[in-house]
Amino acid sequence: MQEGTFFYRRQQCYSIPGKLPELDDYVIAGCRYGGPIALMRDQTKLLALGRSTPAITKAQIQVYSPAGEGLLIFSWDQSKIIRFGWTIDEQLAVLNEEGVYRLYDLQGEYQQHSLGTEAAELGIIDARIQDNGFVALTTSLTLLEVKGWEGSRPLTLANPGLTEPPHSWAVIPPDLNISRHVEVLLSVDATIHTVDNLESVDQRLSQGPFTHISPSPNGKSLALLAFSGTLLVVSSDFQRSFAEFDTLAVAGVQGPVKQVEWCGNDAILVTWTSLAVLVGPFGDTLHYTYSGSTFAITEIDGVRVLGEDVCDLIQKVPASTLSIFKPGSTSPSAILYDAWESFTKKSPKADESIRSIRPELAKAVDECIDAAGQEWEPHWQRRLLNAAKFGRGFLEFHNPTDFVHMGQTLKVLNAVRYYEIGIPLTYLQYNYASPSRLITRLTARNMHLLALRISGFLGLKPDTVLKHWACAKIMRSRPTTTGVGKDAELGGDEEVCRLIVKKFKEVGGVEVSYADIAKKAWEVGRGSLATKLLDHEPQGSDQVPLLLSMKEDKLALIKAVDSGDTDLVYHVLLHLHKRLPLGSFFRLLEEGGKALIPAGKLLEVYAREQNREMLRDFYYSDDRRVESAVLSLDEASRMLDQASKITAVKTAQKFFSEDKDRSFEAKMTDESARLLVFQQQLESEANGKIKFFGLTVNETIRTCLLNGLSKRADKIKSDFKVPDKRFWYIKLHALTESRDFEGLEGFAKSKRSPIGYEAFVHHLVEKGYPKEAVPYVSKCDSPKRADLFVKCGEWRMAGIECKERNDKAKLDELRKRAPNSLIARELDQIATTMK
Amino acid sequence: MASGDQGTSSPTDSALDVNILKEIAKKDLVDALNSVSGAKTLVLDASLAGPLGLVTVVSLLKGQHHGVDKMFWLESGPLTSSTANIVYICRPRISHVKVIADHIKRHAKESRKHNYTVLLVPRISTVVSRILEEEGVLGDVTISSYNLQFIPISEDVISLEHENTFRELWVDGDETVIFDSAQALLTIQRLYGPFPQIIGKGDYAQRLATLLTRQNSKATSTSSPDRRQSPTSKIDSLIILDRRVDMITPLLTQLTYEGLVDELIGIKNSHVELPLSLLNPPTTGPTNAASTSTPANSTATPIPVVAVKKDTKKKHHLTTATDPLFAELRDLNFSSVGKKLNKVARRLDEDYKTNLQTKTVAQLRDFVGKLGGLQTEHQALRLHTGLSELIVPLTRTEIFNKSLEIQQNLLASYEITAQLNAIEDLIAQGAEMQIVLRLLCLASLTAGGVKVKNLESIKREILQAYGYEYLPLLLSLGVPSLGMLLPNPLPPSTSSSSSALKYPFASLRKSLRLLIDDNPEALDEVENDISFVYSGYAPISIRLVQCIAQKGGVISNPAEKEKTGNEASNSAEQRLTFGKVQAHPIVGWKGFEDVVATIPGQTVEIIQKPSNKVTPSGPLAAVAKSTGGGSKKKLSVFNKFMQREMTRLKETEPDMAHKDRFKLATTNWKTSKENPKVT
Repeated sequence: MQEGTFFYRRQQCYSIPGKLPELDDYVIAGCRYGGPIALMRDQTKLLALGRSTPAITKAQIQVYSPAGEGLLIFSWDQSKIIRFGWTIDEQLAVLNEEGVYRLYDLQGEYQQHSLGTEAAELGIIDARIQDNGFVALTTSLTLLEVKGWEGSRPLTLANPGLTEPPHSWAVIPPDLNISRHVEVLLSVDATIHTVDNLESVDQRLSQGPFTHISPSPNGKSLALLAFSGTLLVVSSDFQRSFAEFDTLAVAGVQGPVKQVEWCGNDAILVTWTSLAVLVGPFGDTLHYTYSGSTFAITEIDGVRVLGEDVCDLIQKVPASTLSIFKPGSTSPSAILYDAWESFTKKSPKADESIRSIRPELAKAVDECIDAAGQEWEPHWQRRLLNAAKFGRGFLEFHNPTDFVHMGQTLKVLNAVRYYEIGIPLTYLQYNYASPSRLITRLTARNMHLLALRISGFLGLKPDTVLKHWACAKIMRSRPTTTGVGKDAELGGDEEVCRLIVKKFKEVGGVEVSYADIAKKAWEVGRGSLATKLLDHEPQGSDQVPLLLSMKEDKLALIKAVDSGDTDLVYHVLLHLHKRLPLGSFFRLLEEGGKALIPAGKLLEVYAREQNREMLRDFYYSDDRRVESAVLSLDEASRMLDQASKITAVKTAQKFFSEDKDRSFEAKMTDESARLLVFQQQLESEANGKIKFFGLTVNETIRTCLLNGLSKRADKIKSDFKVPDKRFWYIKLHALTESRDFEGLEGFAKSKRSPIGYEAFVHHLVEKGYPKEAVPYVSKCDSPKRADLFVKCGEWRMAGIECKERNDKAKLDELRKRAPNSLIARELDQIATTMK
Repeated sequence: MASGDQGTSSPTDSALDVNILKEIAKKDLVDALNSVSGAKTLVLDASLAGPLGLVTVVSLLKGQHHGVDKMFWLESGPLTSSTANIVYICRPRISHVKVIADHIKRHAKESRKHNYTVLLVPRISTVVSRILEEEGVLGDVTISSYNLQFIPISEDVISLEHENTFRELWVDGDETVIFDSAQALLTIQRLYGPFPQIIGKGDYAQRLATLLTRQNSKATSTSSPDRRQSPTSKIDSLIILDRRVDMITPLLTQLTYEGLVDELIGIKNSHVELPLSLLNPPTTGPTNAASTSTPANSTATPIPVVAVKKDTKKKHHLTTATDPLFAELRDLNFSSVGKKLNKVARRLDEDYKTNLQTKTVAQLRDFVGKLGGLQTEHQALRLHTGLSELIVPLTRTEIFNKSLEIQQNLLASYEITAQLNAIEDLIAQGAEMQIVLRLLCLASLTAGGVKVKNLESIKREILQAYGYEYLPLLLSLGVPSLGMLLPNPLPPSTSSSSSALKYPFASLRKSLRLLIDDNPEALDEVENDISFVYSGYAPISIRLVQCIAQKGGVISNPAEKEKTGNEASNSAEQRLTFGKVQAHPIVGWKGFEDVVATIPGQTVEIIQKPSNKVTPSGPLAAVAKSTGGGSKKKLSVFNKFMQREMTRLKETEPDMAHKDRFKLATTNWKTSKENPKVT
């Protein structure tokens, strides 16, 4: 299989004579990573009625393993299927023209999602399904992208502005793009449009239109087949062209090209009926003939071809294999292998050979191990591993991990490649998709024992296998019908539950979520089994959704609260609020006792923002007077209308007065309401020129004073029993603010100040009226007067004060602090007069 | 609520590298934004601006790189966007969601089409989708999450920076933050290994610990067997203190430098708002407008992010990373800040001067090399001098000093009735309500309630002076779950549970040595004891952490202990731990069980894994963090050096006066090899 310096090989995986129907008559979708194929009869093809082919009117999809074993057959009862394809999880996605798509697992269980009503009205004419989502083409020639398989909302991509359906199209999946967004390639006229969610770009090609567009597995290159039969290979950004090849020039071609598929990332397989041509990177070819039609499936490291009687894997010969087995190879690994062969033949040449590659022995060993992984036949695997082992013996330090790991992996691979299992997985694919995925694939085929053994062998946790097994068990076991009515069913449930729990204990998979299994049981209508299983679930939070759907409301709420996840509590609350009548909803919370207090609190938080009416009812139904009152006050604070505000405050007052412990609060709200009424009166007296409404008592007094309504201020003082001290401060501040110093003087003299006169001095100075402050200094305690005078800037008077009190020390201190010489001299003078 | 964790710090490497958390948060944000392709308009919840500012420079998100075209605050009113994509980042609050729904409906009315993405912090919420559904716009919105968890706000402090937590927990009873904390702590465990022990106090602490251990078992079960971690040496123990354990401390006025900046100017998300003149080099006589600077937080102002810089004030990030002077100042008692600044100024001056005498080219080159450092230091010095000048007049006001006096008296339970009268006087004088309420609650907590007659009269004063709308607030302070403002005796109808909530302050004062006499002999003691932060009062929360990690520090005077310790041994190992109470392997509350039991709330002590014997491998530094109030940081290199040096000098120069010894120690610092600036 030599072609220049590149080598390709065809490896027969399975021989499947007569197991598959005539492929030409079917629409086929193949699953990557050695997965199964799905077939549906091609409605466009004529079908000869006869005894051998049963007449099927309904659409029917059949699934075969690569080894030709029938895995599943199901019929489709919905409107016309547009396309079907495989997801990364080996589920078959089937999309119909109404935008409804189902995901079938290998047991025929499915989930159904829809693209939405808009898409249903328009209708879907085509789709491209890839590992993690698909892109659908509507009749209005717009593109809808669905990400993932959880039924997420479709995203409309940029409008490509088509007038007719593209000749062909393809999708580069998001994870292969630099932009991390899906890219759609549409063949329009002679060119190709690339479309993502932002824009549609014309790539300005001229060789089109194209019948086939095929992106390589790594998304970096594209294979384009033009109507003219020219195969173009370009980079996916259309910047570089790698190769051009004329398919019409291939000898022995009959009919149109069926498929253009990539073989790994560097060669392209073009198939016709009964012929497959591998086109290498430089336009060189290899021909493979098949009897009858074929179907090719691109893999990351090759291409799988299903013929009528074989399943082949065509791939580039891996470097390590090449280096060992290439004719005339003198690489260290080839010599090592040769040495080992000599050794088994007991030839002394072995020693010589080993010696000759001593420095590179480690590399040679590694290469042999790697090559073993590339082999399909256990025979060759063993030989290569033996060679590696032999070489290892001559090495002092060599990490055995790779060797051991390869041995383990090959055991697993050989096991799953066995035709009854039928997963022709290569070493590269296995590593790419991870062992745990292999386990899920096995469980999806209901091969629980093998899956369990493999996961045990690889040291993986048995959880997933056990879980799947339990679900399958529940599905399969029907409640026993012996016995009469309910008792019989209970007996059956008991049995299943016991079996499952026992198995889990045996295997040690204690961390399996019973809730998930219980959910399954509930879904298949076995409520009592679900309850039983749920009892074994240690994680409260996992029980909640199921409990809710089982209408175990109180239990669900308790578990949710216990989980500490407030969002879960909300989930339950909102769900129940929707479902239950308000009365019983409240009763549930009220009767829940201590365990449900947090839930009640959360409901309050939610209702305060979103549904006050409900909150009022809630408080009312629970006789929570104080909360009702506070709610009413809160509403009052938001009201703008004076009358309704007063009413709301009065309502609050009423609530408070109904609780005997809240007499103080009742009194206060009463005061508050009285104040509001009084303020209304004040405003009307002032003809609305002065704003009073909503002010505090202090501010009301102040506003009265500022506006010369001192009688009114006095009335508030007596009505609201404002203490003298506070009143004096307010008045001091107000009079200072209005610069009514005469009034202030009169006020100061009206009676003995309850706040002393220092406060007067301090406040006046602070507000910038030191002169006006001076008269009050003499009313203060004599020892402080000197300092207060200084504060007013009256140094001389301070000095005189000192003199009067005969306080020499103080005077000296003042002299030291004197701000300028003038004052200093004055103070000195006073000092001299003292004695 | 306050939770604390504690890390080891061996003499060689510093504790945990919390910067990873910052990187994670940053990356997550970028990823979340990039998940929406194309140009987008970013609408930001104002309460997240601060926390996000600690993670990344928010304005950097703009421009080509992340496709953010314009940024707006999330606020009601119309939103005009020129881009097809609109991305909202917000906490899952109902009010926010309503604004978003309103935007969408407006756009629909104007028949403008946009793609809406809502990134909820920290996770997706059912309530949000429910409300969007009720508003009829759920179909138009893609809901996703941005998992913002712990944010490092200093090299040894991490915080969730969750606003309103206190209210949510104790007034609303919304425990969301506990769940979020548990999630965030799980992340910490994934990064640094599991916590071998969880020790804590308080009902919510118990709740958090339960959630954490439960989730732990879930987390380990899902990870594959080889990932099962062994107890790591990175973290010794998680200490969870619920704020209810120590309601007293946040009621007091903080007296450290950073504390006072917070009290009087306001620190939010490590940012302080300062007059522009303080921040920009050319200063023109700064501080005359000082007294008017109130902590106005422009984060709430509904204007585009770009416009935040308007007017004369600017946000400044107070961080030790770029401002080493702040590291030295932040935890000093304010009384010694002036001295410190003076000293630094003089040193700077000298540094500049010595450089004038440079003669050779090599010397000159050295000088130029140092010039940059000197200038940043100069800049920092100017900033902090200016800041102190802003603060000083505020600390001189009558009300400030009166309230300090009342606090001290209440802590000592001295003449409580007189203090209540003093509080009433403060109301009459028109003091800020916050000051009054803090004092009143303090009185209630320290004295186990206030006499009904007094309480009602003060409450009435408050309502009349500040408005009747505060009645619900007063009620909230008195609810059993909070119990900050209680009548004495309790009304007979209240359940016995709330009477059990009474805080045993008087007995704690003695058993936890909360008050340190400020007689001259005890001055030494104050210097070595945490009580310096409140000039003689040691925060209860800190004492509780000490109960766990530094038992010696609770019982007795560290200075005294040091003396005997030194005599006993003089090994190199001992030398390293001079001046500090030796920490010890953590053995839970041992020795303080009785004291801890008297504090209301449950006591937590969980050992997660059969821990390998933790050997004392050096001093353990307690890192306590509290989201509710002030925080106590690990000692800086300088602090450590000084403590060590002081004890060394005490030994070598026993006759020297304390002041002189201190002076000598600082001079030694200049040349010490531990000084990061000496190389």
